Amino acid sequence: MSIVATVAPADYTPPGIEEFWQPLFGTDGPLAITRPMLLMALSVILVAWWLLATTRKKAVLPGRGQMGTEAIYGIVRNGIAKDLIGSREFMRFVPLLFTLFVVILTNNFFGVIPPMSFPTMSRIGFPIALSLIVWVVFHVVGMKKHGFIGYWKSLVPSGLPKAMVPFIFFLELITDLFTRPVTLALRLFGNMFAGHILIVLFITGGWYMLTSGGVLVIAGGVTWIFAFVMTLFELLVEFLQAYVFTLLAALYIAGAVADEH
Amino acid sequence: MTGNIAILGYGLSAIGPGIGVGLIFAAYINGVARQPEARGMLQPIAFLGMAITEALAIFGIALAFVFKG
Amino acid sequence: MQAVTVTAEGGEGGFWATAAPIIPHPLEFFFGLACFAILYYIVAKMVVPRLEQIYAERTAAIEGGMNKAVEAQAQAQAALEQYQAQLVDARAEASRIREDAKAQGAQIIAEMREQAAAEAARITETAHKQIEAERQQAVVSLRNDVGRISTDLASRIVGESLHEETRQKGIVERFLAELESGDVVREKVGTPTSSEGDA
Repeated sequence: MSIVATVAPADYTPPGIEEFWQPLFGTDGPLAITRPMLLMALSVILVAWWLLATTRKKAVLPGRGQMGTEAIYGIVRNGIAKDLIGSREFMRFVPLLFTLFVVILTNNFFGVIPPMSFPTMSRIGFPIALSLIVWVVFHVVGMKKHGFIGYWKSLVPSGLPKAMVPFIFFLELITDLFTRPVTLALRLFGNMFAGHILIVLFITGGWYMLTSGGVLVIAGGVTWIFAFVMTLFELLVEFLQAYVFTLLAALYIAGAVADEH
Repeated sequence: MTGNIAILGYGLSAIGPGIGVGLIFAAYINGVARQPEARGMLQPIAFLGMAITEALAIFGIALAFVFKG
Repeated sequence: MQAVTVTAEGGEGGFWATAAPIIPHPLEFFFGLACFAILYYIVAKMVVPRLEQIYAERTAAIEGGMNKAVEAQAQAQAALEQYQAQLVDARAEASRIREDAKAQGAQIIAEMREQAAAEAARITETAHKQIEAERQQAVVSLRNDVGRISTDLASRIVGESLHEETRQKGIVERFLAELESGDVVREKVGTPTSSEGDA
């Protein structure tokens, strides 16, 4: 222990929330331009370029790029929108859901792709923006469909005992107005935040142990192997979170436009 | 040993939703295994149930950060 | 605790470096909204219509292909039916030809048989005629010989030549005719006893 202690460099400080504050160009404060914003802009440029480039030819027999785009579009259009919202009204929401899916997926994958190495969605501003859009959309389409009063009425399932109605209405109101958007944003944020901090912990901790010498070098190696495994796991989580976000957005919209709530 | 009691609270708040989400997906897998054609009908229900159940854990992490300071 | 961290950071990060991560950074929030709006516009105006057009075209192509396949199948069916009809016709034709050939063969055989029979009859007849002629010839020559020999014999017995007389009277011919007809009349030149002739 004493050997390690003497060889060890400065004390190890685990990664914290400072890891997620990356202002650029010397800006600071609430209007600072941050690195996640650049990543977001980069993702929009990349996604727009990719989607426009692969669909430019409109080939009936798709090339490799178009096939990839169509596969993702097929997941969102048929697997999520058509199945959940129903084949009558789903086409209105396909652009929204598709945009949500590709934006979240790209920004999530930025978390493990080396030059970026930062999941944009671990900055809560972005998930809140996205879930706010979903929240506005599903309330607006619900009110358009049922009318303002009818929409609030449709929150309570029919055939309930009279005594239960206010209680259930209150619960549904909280769910609709508060729980759904907040959990939608926080789920995405929490997964990305925790995943990123975990990977950073494994890598910096492993580096610390590798440079410490002694027995810790082996432990450091094992830690880095685990960092690699965690990266693969993160890939899965990142895809899954993009999918779940889109799926839940579609579910909420489906609930709002459904004939019976 | 240093740390924050709020994080401990988050750990506690994650137990219930963890079990709940596990139960939901266990039931979902069971249902699909018994009746594979019911998958399309069960999937939204399972995910909606997961979203509601998971909400507690998500509130937990939010409140952990809120009460940390 | 926050104060300690801030001093440790040297005050560089300020509030945002150590703020709870669930507090949204305002510019990030609005920037996220703006980015999403831009991408949504691009996707809704260009990407999704294109993809839908591809879907529609592919569906049309597949349906067109299926129609074409159905058409081809119908054509193949028609060709098969035509071929089978032709095959039936050909079979009928072949069997008809075979029947004809059989009938013709039978006819030919019958004709040949008839011809052969006629030929055989003709040959037999010719042979009969020839035999008859030869027999006639033999009879004539025999008659002459018999007449001459018997005259000779009678001449020897009588002692003088009876040839002239015989010829004159035609005795031999008459005798032979009588012999043929079966009732032999005793001549005066013949043997005396009549019983010998009856025996």
